[in-house]
Amino acid sequence: MRQLLKIAYRDLVRNRRRSLLTLVAIAVGVSLLVFMSGFIQGAITDSIENNIRLQTGHLKIRAESYDEDKVSLAWEDLLDNPEELAAQVRALDGVEAASPVLWASGIVSTREESVGVRVFGIDPLSDVHARIRDGLAAGEYLQPDDRSGVLLGQRLAESLGVAVGDQISLLVNTADEAPDEATFTIRGLYATGVPVYDDTTIFLPLSKAQAFTHTEGRASMILALLKDRELADGLAAALRAPGYTVLTWREMNQVILQAIQAGMGMLYIMYLVVLLVVAVVIANTLLMSVFERIREMGILSALGMKGREILLMFVVEAGILGAVGVVLGVGLGSLAVFYMSKVGLHLGEMATMTTVSAAYSDTMYARFAPAETIGVAIAAMVIILLASLYPARFAARLEPADALRND
Amino acid sequence: MEVIRLEDVTRVYRIGEVETYALRGLTLTVEESEFTALVGPSGSGKTTALQVMGCLDKPTSGRVLLKGEDVSKLSGSKRADLRRGSIGFVFQFFALLPGLNAYENIELPLLLARKNGKQRKERVTELLEAVGLSDRAQHRPDQMSGGEQQRVAVARALATNPILILADEPTANLDTDNGRQVMEIMLRLNEETGTTFVCATHDPRVVAFARRVVELRDGKVSDDRLPRGNAR
Repeated sequence: MRQLLKIAYRDLVRNRRRSLLTLVAIAVGVSLLVFMSGFIQGAITDSIENNIRLQTGHLKIRAESYDEDKVSLAWEDLLDNPEELAAQVRALDGVEAASPVLWASGIVSTREESVGVRVFGIDPLSDVHARIRDGLAAGEYLQPDDRSGVLLGQRLAESLGVAVGDQISLLVNTADEAPDEATFTIRGLYATGVPVYDDTTIFLPLSKAQAFTHTEGRASMILALLKDRELADGLAAALRAPGYTVLTWREMNQVILQAIQAGMGMLYIMYLVVLLVVAVVIANTLLMSVFERIREMGILSALGMKGREILLMFVVEAGILGAVGVVLGVGLGSLAVFYMSKVGLHLGEMATMTTVSAAYSDTMYARFAPAETIGVAIAAMVIILLASLYPARFAARLEPADALRND
Repeated sequence: MEVIRLEDVTRVYRIGEVETYALRGLTLTVEESEFTALVGPSGSGKTTALQVMGCLDKPTSGRVLLKGEDVSKLSGSKRADLRRGSIGFVFQFFALLPGLNAYENIELPLLLARKNGKQRKERVTELLEAVGLSDRAQHRPDQMSGGEQQRVAVARALATNPILILADEPTANLDTDNGRQVMEIMLRLNEETGTTFVCATHDPRVVAFARRVVELRDGKVSDDRLPRGNAR
């Protein structure tokens, strides 16, 4: 085996240019796949995290009859003792934060503009809304006892032509099935980096939202964030009770997860195409090597080397090229992922083309995907070794006498 | 004791509808320790005869017996086993592996024969000395002259102590001095070790060293003689 390795290595060095070009092809192919994995991983993580942190939480507890699409404010569809329920959830092991939230639909109006919005009544002090608090771009954050202030998305404010300190009119549907209207002052502007969210959502303190919508201390749901999202299934099972629906982040992010599955299917097809190209390059390189060395095969055969040993020699040559190329490719791809994890890709207005249930940030960052990277490396090596079999078998099947006659 | 016997061996090459008879009912026996020259014009079947003797090629008909064993119909793998242990080759174009140095080229048959490190080292050192190239062990073929390369090839052929060495035009690419040097080494090793040598050639210098000359014409033996006088 040592001598086979030596012969294979020496042949690669003898044909430096050919070996180098093949290495580059493998490295570029593999690095492209590693980079794509990192980018997709970043996009997936980004989208799911956005949704969890801004909308669904890791767990959501609501009344069984509550329909999120209808954004019902009927008392029978809401939670009666949301503070008590939230406290019970907070007391569970693994829960980082839990807070009641009231959802309503409304219209924000200025002198010139009117736009439909989602109205969220929140406990601003809860860590469930840390993303909003941390995303404060101008003005002040809300206080729980503020009776006349709102937080607006910075993008929404720009489109309405308003700023911190300005007044807006907010019309909401109420529990009485009649709209109510009031004037509010813009306390602050927030920017989560998720355009589709920032364009459509306005925040009020929970107590003010409850009074405004005539829901008398009730809430649409309890949102909970967990220390580890994998605890969701177990905690959901513990919290389920008659009259309540408890949803996990997986159940609430079905749209994204299905889109991811479909996307991954396309991605794997792309992986295959790239790896097939790499395979063709390797097979071609080895075939050229075989044709150049037919007489050498005859000599080795004359010395008593068997067909399967000649086959192994070429497979070893492919293995060396493959291993070096894959390592280089993983290195280059990882560097690219690292760079894009810091710099990101600015999507800008493209991010507004997503929906609230599949929300992308306006800047997408790559994330290192170790499992995918190892998978790409292994798949590349397997395909390279398989591709080497055809030229290797060709060499192994040469009749010694014919090979020796070759010039 | 006979080492190799060809009985009525025919070898036909078919390319499309054209048949070419390289050997036509060749019958020949070579005894142990012989130093035989196989002579004849181009196309007489010398190289084919050597390849059939060396189990590099199979006869179309007839038998080939190596030490009494019929090897005519053996599989490729079994023929490789025979070549590995019992037969050595010296080629016209030296046939060294360019990526390996002299030591490694001679060592290769010993590696294929699964000899351990100590055995390989001893044998290679012994052979390098026998062919006068101990100081060239680390040189690759592109760093050696034609004569030196052919001497390494002779050493390699002898590595596994084969019973038979087949040399196809061993001096064709060598000048007079180098050709003579190589033939002297081969003859000396034949006398010292008793290894049988069969050399296909149309070089009179090689014929001069042989103790038996077999002439081929049109794929069969036309003359088989013991030359008079000393071969050197």
